[in-house]
Amino acid sequence: MSALTLYQIVALILLCAGLFGLTQRRSLVGMLICVELMLNGAGLSIVAAAQLTDFSATLGQLGTLFVMGLAAAEATLVLAIVVVVARRFGSAQTSDITTLKE
Amino acid sequence: MEIMAKVAFCVYTAVILGGSILAVSSSSLVRALVGLIITLIGVAGMYLLLASPFMAFMQLLIYVGAVSVLIFFAVMLTRAESGGDESGRVPMKTSVLGLAATIAPAAVLGWLVMTRPVESIAVPTEVSIKQLGEGLLSSYFLPFELISVILMVAMAGAVLLTWEKREGK
Repeated sequence: MSALTLYQIVALILLCAGLFGLTQRRSLVGMLICVELMLNGAGLSIVAAAQLTDFSATLGQLGTLFVMGLAAAEATLVLAIVVVVARRFGSAQTSDITTLKE
Repeated sequence: MEIMAKVAFCVYTAVILGGSILAVSSSSLVRALVGLIITLIGVAGMYLLLASPFMAFMQLLIYVGAVSVLIFFAVMLTRAESGGDESGRVPMKTSVLGLAATIAPAAVLGWLVMTRPVESIAVPTEVSIKQLGEGLLSSYFLPFELISVILMVAMAGAVLLTWEKREGK
């Protein structure tokens, strides 16, 4: 098994943990934590693929830097949305904010 | 040196596994956040193993330093339930469906990774910070500027969303 395959499997584990957590969590902040797990798996996969093959290593590292920047922007916006939802509904549980459905 | 790299890989994998299990299964959100931070540090170690110390540094700076603090603020600003936000049983149907939704993409991706291995080079190529900076200011100038615009818009949007008008005006 090549080194790249091992790194990809670790990234896959991170993706699976994030996906499973996203379906299980019942609060918005818990879901945000799981999304960060998945984004980290993506970054690790990109850097491993760029460093361990003949592909341009600069592009791989810069791509992961952009993923990190996007994750920071996403966390900022989700924080604001969670605060607005918590103020409007009095809680940040997903079961309490289903008024559109009923 | 070969043995050392393998041992370090196993240690970081164990750290990532333990952290992600804590992050996903903990009933208290603060403990889940601690699990996320442990996982992020494990991934930073993986970057070190891949001969990209700058990425490891940025991982610690951006994720452990900034994003974790943001999530901690989110935990503190929302009203916490007594006994943890995630207490109480998850319905059986949700667990089974969630497991299926996880296994389906994982099986496809795992099958692809295992059956179509790409030839990897033994020693990772090292990229100096100078090369990264030159890349940012020459070939990848547009994404570099776009990401700053996105961060600016996200920050302004967050302020706008949580803005409260003063009463009686």
